[in-house]
This record gives sequence, C-alpha cells and structure tokens, in this order.
Amino acid sequence: MRKIFILARREYRTAVRTKSFIIGLLLAPVFMGGSLIAFALLKDKVDLTEKHIAVIDHSGIMADYLLQAVEERNKTEIFDPEKKEQVKPVYQLEIIHPDTAEMQQLRIDLSERVRNKQLHAFIEIGPEIIHPGDNPEKSRIKYYSENSAMDAVRDWFSWPINNRIRQLRVEELDLKEEAMKDLFNWINLDGLGLITVDRKTGDVQDARQISIGETIIVPYIIVFLMFMMVMMSAIPLLTAVMEEKMNRIAEVLLGSVTPFQFMMGKILGSIAVSLTASAVYVIGGIITARYLNVGNMIPYDVLPWFFTYLILNIIMVGSGMAALGSACNDNKDASALQFPAMIPMILPLFVMMPVIQEPLSSFSTGLSLFPPFTPMLMLLRLATPVTIPVWQPLAGLAGVIIFSVLSVWAGGRIFRTCILMQGQKPKFVNLVRYVVRG
Amino acid sequence: MNIIELHGITKRFNGLVAVNDLFLNVPQGSIYGFIGPNGSGKTTTIRMIMNILYPDSGQILLFGSEHSGARLENVGYLPEERGLYKKMKVRELLRFHGELKNGKNLGHEIDFWLKKMELSEWAERKVETLSKGMSQKLQFITTIIDQPSLIILDEPFTGLDPVNAEVIRMAVLELQKNGATVIFSTHDMNMAENMCDYIFMIYKGNKVLDGTLASIKDIYGADTLRIQCEKGMDALQGIPGIEVINNFGQMQEIRIEAGADSQKILAKIMSRTKVSRFEVTRPSLNDIFIRIARPVKTQEEHA
Repeated sequence: MRKIFILARREYRTAVRTKSFIIGLLLAPVFMGGSLIAFALLKDKVDLTEKHIAVIDHSGIMADYLLQAVEERNKTEIFDPEKKEQVKPVYQLEIIHPDTAEMQQLRIDLSERVRNKQLHAFIEIGPEIIHPGDNPEKSRIKYYSENSAMDAVRDWFSWPINNRIRQLRVEELDLKEEAMKDLFNWINLDGLGLITVDRKTGDVQDARQISIGETIIVPYIIVFLMFMMVMMSAIPLLTAVMEEKMNRIAEVLLGSVTPFQFMMGKILGSIAVSLTASAVYVIGGIITARYLNVGNMIPYDVLPWFFTYLILNIIMVGSGMAALGSACNDNKDASALQFPAMIPMILPLFVMMPVIQEPLSSFSTGLSLFPPFTPMLMLLRLATPVTIPVWQPLAGLAGVIIFSVLSVWAGGRIFRTCILMQGQKPKFVNLVRYVVRG
Repeated sequence: MNIIELHGITKRFNGLVAVNDLFLNVPQGSIYGFIGPNGSGKTTTIRMIMNILYPDSGQILLFGSEHSGARLENVGYLPEERGLYKKMKVRELLRFHGELKNGKNLGHEIDFWLKKMELSEWAERKVETLSKGMSQKLQFITTIIDQPSLIILDEPFTGLDPVNAEVIRMAVLELQKNGATVIFSTHDMNMAENMCDYIFMIYKGNKVLDGTLASIKDIYGADTLRIQCEKGMDALQGIPGIEVINNFGQMQEIRIEAGADSQKILAKIMSRTKVSRFEVTRPSLNDIFIRIARPVKTQEEHA
C-alpha cells in the first residue's frame, strides 16, 4: 500500500502542477456556462430596426383590428417602463387586399420582397377563422418569413389575432362584458415539492416551488461534472500508460513495484486529481449559487453520493483504461481503442432526458442499476426532486463495488501480461485470453 | 552462500523456448557477467530473477527463499530498455525511486551519488535537459540509491562513452567492495573479462558457459597464437595446423588445430616473412564468444 501511495502522490503532483490542469480547471466552467453567460449578456441585445409586415386578410375582419393593435404596441410595449428606452422594434403593417385570382403570384412577389429585406414577413389569414368549416385550409393563418420557426414577430401576432377571434366569437354569444371578464382567465398548476416535517423539532415545512432549474438543470450539472471528472482523470490513463510503456519507464518501475501496485498507483492518483477538481467546482458552485440566491436548489444530500460514485467510477473506468493502455504499442493503437472504451461513459448522456422526465420508470430504474451506467444515471435520478426508493442507490452502489473489483482484477491481469509485451496488437480476443489465463 | 539459485527454469513465449532448463548459482559478493548474442535469453533470465516474468517451470531462490510475485527491497534493477520521467527534476526523481525502494538516509545518498557521478549541478534541473550519457548515469543512481545488496544491471554500458563507462565501472566495483553482489549482462567482452569473477553465457536459451574466467579459458587451453608480421594475412595462408585466422589488420589471431605444434607454425611463417611479434596464449573471452555464437563476418575460415 505504501508503494501505491508513493506512485499516486507522484501522479497527483505531476498532474496538478501542470499549467494545463490549472487552465483546464478554470476554463471548463467557462465553457460549460459560456453559452448561458453569453445568452444572459446578449438577451437584451435586440435588433431595433423597424419591421415591416404585410397582412393578406381573407376574413375581412382582422386588418383594422391588427392596425390598431400594432399602433398600440408601438406606443406602449416597445419601451422599457423604467428606463424609457426603446427595447423592442417598431412594427409597420401593410394591409394587402387579396386578389383571389392571382394569389399564388402575390405570395411569390411578397416572398421576393422578404428576401430583398423590404419586408420582414407576411401573414395570410384564412377566410373562415371564426367558424372553421370542413376545409381546414380556409381557417389557417399562415406566417411566411425566412426564419419563421424562431421569430418573435410571429409569437407577438398570435396574441392580437387570437384575441380578436375570441372577441368576435364572444360577441356572437351576446354575453355581458362583465360576465366575460373571467372567461379566459387561465390558471396554471403550480409545481410544488412535498411537505416535510423536521424530525427534530416537528416543525412542518411548507412545500417549495419546484423550478425547472431543480428538475433539469441541477441534475444535468451534477452528471456532467461526473462525466467531466472521469474524462479528465480516468480516460487519459490509456495514453499515459501507453507512453510509459513505450518510453520504457514501466520496466524501470517494475523493478521496484508489482504491476498491480503500478496500476493502482496511477488509478489512486487519478482519483486524487478528480477529487481536487470536483471539490473546487462543488465549492465554487455552492458559493456562486448562494451569491445568486439560488442556494436552496443545491441538493446537499446528493453530494456524498456524487463523491462515492465518482471514486468508484474512476476505479472502474481507470482500471479498464490502464489495462488497454498497457496493451497499446503506439498512438494509433491508443486512438483506435479510446473511443470504444468511452462508450459506456457516453451512452448514459443520451438517456438523460427520459430519465429526468420519469426517474421512477422501469427504464430509468433498470439502466441505473446496470453497473457501468450506475454512477451517472443513479446520480441523475438522485439529483431530481423525485424521491427514489432507498434500496436502489444502495443496490447500485453494491453493483458498482462488485463491478469495480472485477474491473481491477481483470485490468490487473491484462496489465501484468501486456506492460512489457512489445509489438502485439491489442486485439479483443487476446485481451480476453489474458484475463482468463492471467 | 548463494544469493541467487536457479533450479531448472524454463520459459517459453508462444511455444518458442526462450530459456531452457537453466541451473545457475550466484555466490554472495561476486560480480557475475551474463553474456550471449542478442535474443539468446539474457534479459528473459534477468526478468525471471526479478519476478517480472514467471518461469513456466523450475524454481528461483533469492537470498535462500522463493519470492513469487513480490518485489524485494534490497534488489536494484537497471533494465536494458530504460526510461525516466522526463518532466521530473533530477533530485525529485531520485527521491521518488528511493522512496519506492524504501531507501534510508535518502538526502545524503542522493547528494553523495550526484557528486560521484558529476551531476550535482543538474540536481534541480528537469530530466529532459540531461544528455544521454548523464541520463544513463542518473538511471544507474536510481538503481543503487537504496544501497541494495543485489544489483542487476542489464547492458549498463551500452551507449556510454569510455569516460562515463569507466565512472560506472568504478562505481560497480566499489559497490561490490562494500558487499553487494552484482549481475550484469554485456556485449562488451573486454569489460566482462576485466570485471567479472564469474561468466555465464547463454546461447539460444541454453547455458553454454558458466564458471570463473580462468576455468572457462582452461577448457579451451593455449590454442591461440597472436602474430604481427610484415606480410600480414598473405604470410599465413596455406599453413597446415591453422584452423581459423582472425584478421585484426595490424595483428592476426590464429586458432591452431588440436595437436598442432605452435613452433612448427612459427617456423613456417618465419620462412615466409619477418615476424615482429609472436605470442602463444589462451583465447580471449571475445574469441570464445565468437567460437560459440559463430558470427562468420569477423573471421576467415582457413580452407
């Protein structure tokens, strides 16, 4: 054990002293949060150039109303209420009377005007929007623009158009204005957590509002942190071991340590590196979250699971990587093996969304109990606001421990055989043979 | 007492025999030279002694007992193919290796050896800044930093200039004087002849020589003549009783046939040319090596 610690200490010191580690430590959150920061900084940078929109109103009931609505908007909605600055662009409406004989030509002409930037978009309102008949084509409202899927103008026009439709439909019912007031008051269902009772004091704590942040973002961040740590510390063992084999450092060390001690020293060093980096991120994350007054979103009860699963994941992945590294003879071998070896790490990322949506489904439970996926997927389930049965993380832990021991055992046997072997290509069949025969 | 005892060890790789039923005893305090052509089994034997490879059959005793799978603290090993962590500083690297070997008094030992190997000025520099010769000396220090009682050096002099080779040679002799047992493999027959108490030669996995230098040479007897004459090789052609002539340019070494009379051969040569030097001697280790391994390029068979 003493020798493993000496090897691990060297690995750790070498890793954390490098500039790339320090720069990586600082840059990783910048990259991760970069798009969020950019979004936050740029969200107010709205294009304020005037937007011309043409409207072809087949219904004959919308044009005047829209002209009024746009005029009203240009007066009130485009200015920041506090700073009195313009924050949204002015809309200019151009009403085009439909010429039913030449409709297609009209659409072509208007499209050309959009392409030439004379128009931002044009809207075509069907004739039967108040009472859609059998032909759905007649009750459609079409919005034509170059990027209609993500267009704030389209979003805005939905409101006055639908308000007008609703207004006309209500008028036909001959209802009083007062009776109608609450008719369209849509009430959302507030998402809340569960009510808890403090075990010591017996105080009842009210349910908290559960935000999208707690449901999706926090679990994502925690699992990505795990992924990043394994990518940073366990995956590079493949090339590190390969290089030490090729530089003949391995045999010098094997005069003093056994292959198993050599491998475990490297894995322990990786664990120390990842714990250092993750501690920096976790502490940094907690401080930042508290500073931003979202400290209550941090799932403190998940953090012990995070560190436990992280350590076991690095043992599990690291021993595999070290074993594969020992079987490589050059960079070509290493790069050929690296991606397939990373697949068990990458697959859980693809199923994160369904697991977050239904953490208790048999799909989520089953996958999270498969040992190579357990560290990431069980952690993901634990980090969601849903309470998962207590036995599951424990069963997952037992599975990961057993799998880690097996992985170290098999990895050790491959490592022992391959570390001094030159010129043999790392074929899967051979690796299996080394594990079986030792 | 024997520090190492090999009892009938055999090692095969993919069905090929690398070392075949080898018996060897290395007495305490001796310098044992392992010689043999490339690929003959020297390194495999050394790796098995070091427990890095396990024999398929046979028994290895180190310090009188078996140590299967373990690493002994008091054994220093310098492999043939060797590398160092290039980004570490020289002193840091020595301390790392010293700690791995559980060395005592490391600070003092590091200073002592750095000074002895004329590397003190480089103590705080990174290993990657050292020349090849310096790196090899540093490798040597990492091997012996914990004052091991058994030192195994696989080709320690390869690639060293004569000055640095002499520094290492003197250090090895000093370690032996202080009680260490040394095994080293080499292709430098002069070095082996000058340094070793015992010589072991392995050829195609089999032991072909084992014993003191004198006992090995006794086997071959005084069958070698060294001659310097005016006409060189031309004067030696067609003389009965000559088995092989090794031509070194200014000097020729002749191996005579069993039962041939060296004086008659001398008389014949003197009848052809003026002889400035004539010596009846035992074959050199180099010659014995060549006789066994027979690389034909360096000699001319006498028809």
